[in-house]
Amino acid sequence: MSAAQPTVPPATKPMAPAVGPGGQLPVLSPDVSFIEIEALRSQQFLPAAKEALSALVKEQAEGTLIRPLFNWAGRNSLFPLHWGLACCAIEFAAAFGARWDAERFGVVPRSSPRQCDLMIVNGTVTWKVAHKLVTLYEQMPEPKWVIAMGNCATGGGPFRTAYSVVPGVDKLVPVDVYIAGCPPRPEAMLDGILRLEELIRERGA
Amino acid sequence: MDADEVRAKLTGAGAPGILSVDPFPGVAARVRFSPDSAAPLFPIVRDALGFPHLSTVGGIDWVERYEVFYLLWSDTAKTYLLLSADLDAKAPHIETASSTWPSANWHEREAWELVGIGFDHHPDLRHLLMPDGYDFHPLQRAFKLHEPEELEVKVRHV
Ligand code: SF4
Repeated sequence: MSAAQPTVPPATKPMAPAVGPGGQLPVLSPDVSFIEIEALRSQQFLPAAKEALSALVKEQAEGTLIRPLFNWAGRNSLFPLHWGLACCAIEFAAAFGARWDAERFGVVPRSSPRQCDLMIVNGTVTWKVAHKLVTLYEQMPEPKWVIAMGNCATGGGPFRTAYSVVPGVDKLVPVDVYIAGCPPRPEAMLDGILRLEELIRERGA
Repeated sequence: MDADEVRAKLTGAGAPGILSVDPFPGVAARVRFSPDSAAPLFPIVRDALGFPHLSTVGGIDWVERYEVFYLLWSDTAKTYLLLSADLDAKAPHIETASSTWPSANWHEREAWELVGIGFDHHPDLRHLLMPDGYDFHPLQRAFKLHEPEELEVKVRHV
């Protein structure tokens, strides 16, 4: 959009169609304003919601509604345990900050394991902390998942042969998704969460 | 405060078991003493020499012997003092300093669990950095780095 054009279109201007010819999403021309983009988004949302709802209605008719519904709700509102074990916890914290904003995926860290269904092991696990980690995992209600974030949690990382470090958190609890990196960037952590959502959908129902 | 002054004060206070008092970089002096005389020596160092603060206790494995050292700080002289004692390689042990300097408690726990130096009459000689039931002293020279599969530590469920 060039600076000469107005940012807000006149109210009389007709709205662009939500879905273009042939079911394709419309290619936004450069003069579409932000308000129009928001309107387009909500128009695209309505067909998607209708599709999802009709799938649910179909499943209800087949008697298979509740589990898919719980699966859908659960995988879109993963509550990870709010804790930090080592340097990876800094990236974990950054992922919930303004720049990466993990909450847009429904991921909200909770401080009590009783309210969590996801444990992100974000750092080096020492033998000293091992039984506390297992206790926290056991306090989480089912169904629950574990993400091993970073090389340390995956296999001990740079401290693999150290005398005090658990060589991989999968020695203690079952792990669903491993994220490589030392530390993984917040994008990688978000990618891991999205992979876990896929995994839950595949396993679910 | 220099090594001569430390030596003169120790002699004046009748400190037992002093083997040598030498200059040492970064501290007023390095005092080597016999481990048998640790119990009467520590209060003399604290009160007669004026070193009320114990910064750290450490142990070193020199293969043929162990060494335990104490780093002390004096608020009045604004200087450090190093005490050190050579210990037997087979069963290294020394009297605890925690009845003289309470801050020795955790430092001695750490020196015990990592280097394997025993501290007699310690009030609470438990593991500090390692889980209970950890059977190794990992900073001893004889300790081999383990392949992860070999290092079997039982996880205690609470
Ligand atoms: S993987 Fe790297 S950044 Fe993460 S906890 Fe281990 S050492 Fe720290």
